[in-house]
Amino acid sequence: MNSSDAVREGLIPLLPRLRRLARALAGQAADADDLVQIVLERALARAAQWRPDAALDRWVFAIARNAWRDELRARGRSQHLFAPEEAGEMAADRASAQPAQQLELAMALAALPPDHREVVALVLVEGMSYGEAAELLEVPVGTVTSRLARARATLQAHLGKEA
Amino acid sequence: MNAIDDDTLQAYVDGELDADAAARVDAALAHDAVLAHRVQQARAVRAQLHAAFDPVLDEPVPARLSALLQPPAAPALAGGRHAHAMHRRAPRRWYVGAALAASVALLAVALWWPHAGGDMLRMHGGQSFAAGPLEQALNHALASEPEADAQVAIGLSFRSNDGHICRSFVLHRAPARAGLACHGDGGWSVPVLTAAPSPGDDGELRQAASDLPSAVRAAIDARLRGEVFDAKQERAARDAGWQ
Repeated sequence: MNSSDAVREGLIPLLPRLRRLARALAGQAADADDLVQIVLERALARAAQWRPDAALDRWVFAIARNAWRDELRARGRSQHLFAPEEAGEMAADRASAQPAQQLELAMALAALPPDHREVVALVLVEGMSYGEAAELLEVPVGTVTSRLARARATLQAHLGKEA
Repeated sequence: MNAIDDDTLQAYVDGELDADAAARVDAALAHDAVLAHRVQQARAVRAQLHAAFDPVLDEPVPARLSALLQPPAAPALAGGRHAHAMHRRAPRRWYVGAALAASVALLAVALWWPHAGGDMLRMHGGQSFAAGPLEQALNHALASEPEADAQVAIGLSFRSNDGHICRSFVLHRAPARAGLACHGDGGWSVPVLTAAPSPGDDGELRQAASDLPSAVRAAIDARLRGEVFDAKQERAARDAGWQ
């Protein structure tokens, strides 16, 4: 079996997890599946670069993360759901007696930058260890833990107020 | 002084501590209710994320994706890119950041809504769909025949540029919300839901497009092709099951 066949056959059982990761990164189902399609095409095109002693899932998840980043760069509008004026509107709304922690939670989640979002997707959704995520993202483990802590603090603070 | 710092606590929750360190946290948890509460909060975030995204694992994989992994039909093409290229579907134009952010915001809404006693949304596969009274209203209510005490007011209805029918709506019970729902195979998906002006301000229903929050207006602008439905078209669309 050549490497192309090995990659192709190895990817089949990984499709559900790949789709879940893409959904966590890209959001809407159709967009996420477009991302998965790009990932599969890239993985097949680069099959010769995969070494059989490397875990195929982490290899393809890295391709997925990089493809998502490429797409964000291409869009140039990756950071925030709310345009500044919109955020202002919502802040004003919040000041006017909305049961506001809910609004804050929504805004906090939406405002997570890509650096934080991808760590949440890899560690909390996909279940990678800090070390695996650090290797995939090519950053130190301490960077993963600090990004995760900040992302989590944002989300947790608001969930905590709910409880 | 608290001996367990945030990084340690997070590592504990994520199963990253070795046995000794985990045992120290266990011991501290036994007599520190505040610490125990923080652990519970951290686990809740993880659990809510899994609840939102794990259903994707059970969805059928779209044929266009599994087709990419079929063995090449002709041996001459084995390993080549051309076999895969034949299956290629040009990805739609997509707005990853906006779509992700919207879905994350909706996830947030879905997370808090149960606490608020709401029953208007359900999550499926990481996406939000209308449920309960909202779904009822989207299916049956006509903007041309508003009900005075309805908790859901339907605004504009139109056919979006991808062929699906979308309807804007305002929820009148606190907290007031406005959003857009689009009809598809899984029911009414809700790509946008945001805070709305309280209906009590001036005692009037706020249905005009100009009164919608800008996030909803932007979502409509991005989808609108042609004109919004008039009363006759709206009724005809309802009678046709919003197809």
